[in-house]
Amino acid sequence: MGQRQAGPLVWVGIVVTTCLLLAALQKLLWLTVPFLLALILYYMLQPAMQALIYRGMRRETAAGATMAGFIVLVLLAGVLILPEFGARLLDWQATLLRYLQGGVDLLDRSLRSLEASWRVFANAQLADTAAARLAQFTNSLTSYLEPLVVGAATWAPALLLTPFLAYFFLRDGRNFLSFLARAVPNAFFERTLDLMAQVDRTARAYFQGLLLLTVLDTITLGLGLWWLGFQGAWLLGLICAILAWLPYIGSVLGGLLVVLVAATDFPQVPQMAWWAVGLFVMARMLDDFVYMPLTIGKSLSMHPLLTVVMIFVGGAVAGVAGLMLVLPVLGVVMVIGQTLGYLLTDARLMARHRHARNLGRQAAEADLF
Amino acid sequence: MNRSFLGKVFAPRKLTPQLANLAKISLFNQLSATELGIVDGLLHHRDYLADEVVFDEGEEGQAIYLIESGQIVLMHPGQSERIATLGPGSFFGDMALIDNAHRTAQARAMQGSRLAVFFREDFLGLMDTHARIASKIALQMAREMGRRLRQQQSAESPSWHQHQ
Repeated sequence: MGQRQAGPLVWVGIVVTTCLLLAALQKLLWLTVPFLLALILYYMLQPAMQALIYRGMRRETAAGATMAGFIVLVLLAGVLILPEFGARLLDWQATLLRYLQGGVDLLDRSLRSLEASWRVFANAQLADTAAARLAQFTNSLTSYLEPLVVGAATWAPALLLTPFLAYFFLRDGRNFLSFLARAVPNAFFERTLDLMAQVDRTARAYFQGLLLLTVLDTITLGLGLWWLGFQGAWLLGLICAILAWLPYIGSVLGGLLVVLVAATDFPQVPQMAWWAVGLFVMARMLDDFVYMPLTIGKSLSMHPLLTVVMIFVGGAVAGVAGLMLVLPVLGVVMVIGQTLGYLLTDARLMARHRHARNLGRQAAEADLF
Repeated sequence: MNRSFLGKVFAPRKLTPQLANLAKISLFNQLSATELGIVDGLLHHRDYLADEVVFDEGEEGQAIYLIESGQIVLMHPGQSERIATLGPGSFFGDMALIDNAHRTAQARAMQGSRLAVFFREDFLGLMDTHARIASKIALQMAREMGRRLRQQQSAESPSWHQHQ
């Protein structure tokens, strides 16, 4: 399959189908996100289930045992972490407020410094205006928080679908693929098996690429922050790398976090925040234009230019959901599109299919006349 | 109690009629019932009508075919001479399991046939997850290839066979 090249029409079809799917998936985000998380869980737990099957356990039992083991581990971790979490909650609140205040102070200092240098800003009373806006924002914080809390409450039950879906992927995934394969005519069967294997490889490669990307981001940011003298540089790098799973919005949140920490931990060195911003921008550039094409883009066998362009197209078509979903969706559609393009234009396979249908019709009509 | 529960969960599988049928295929005759059960989960069963083409010469091979029932003939298209006629228990298209080599002949069902299809990707996966099963299958395949090679050499030069 590797040496066949899809034509321009097939590629137009692939890009258009990807955009349509993204637009549709955006409407079903409550189902799409648990589905994606379930896929990640499936690829994480599959080796454990395979090991149990090899020991002689039936697939159904192995899937149940693996999922039960995972849930027990999560519950155990919850029981161990929750008391600690509860005890530190008040400290964390105080820490959060301290960092927020650090950010506000940095903004105020920067604006007053601008006012001192530029008369036009001084005339506009930039610092006072920003302070007033911030105070107004803080007062109306509940109106912003309320939809977030309501949204989280709506999404929480859908997220409970994740282990449920992952369990059925483990238990019935293979049967489902066999079921799909049974519907394929004999002439196209081998190619369809190959297509399914490629879709599986693509999905696996995407999620492995995502994990590799997280490691690279953590190393880059952790190293840079450590060099600048930040405490907990590696943890901060890891948090920012995980936030980067949400393209763009995650990067903004990560950048904000780094600036807040810089402003609070280095109040006497105001330029430290700007150094941190510079580092973060550099890391994001590396991430978007080097790491992502090399990890996720490479794992999906896509041209780096196409990867970058499609990220922007995904964002334009379906917003944040589009940014998150564009690469895995494109990877799967690309494999299906290329294979369908090949099958439907292969005259010999089509002729064999027609021949088999004629044989079937003749066999069915044999004793009618 | 616990021991018997684990004993039940990991108990060797019984040879069901379906697995007994698989055990008759020469490629799998070294496998235990449990191992046959694992392999059975990887196979796809397909029915072919008499005169239906299974695969064409020159096509990229993706899978090996195992005959459960019926008869398959291997031939070069356009030539009346048959390369081989295979019955239940035989397998063909085995080079596809080793690499994605192009098919060297056309396979066609001589009568209504039921074939088990073993996809290359599944065999490669088996090498990672169940190396023992994969090595048993590979050994059987090597034996079959050796047998075919001896047969061919013997047919080409009868004296060669006497020297072996």
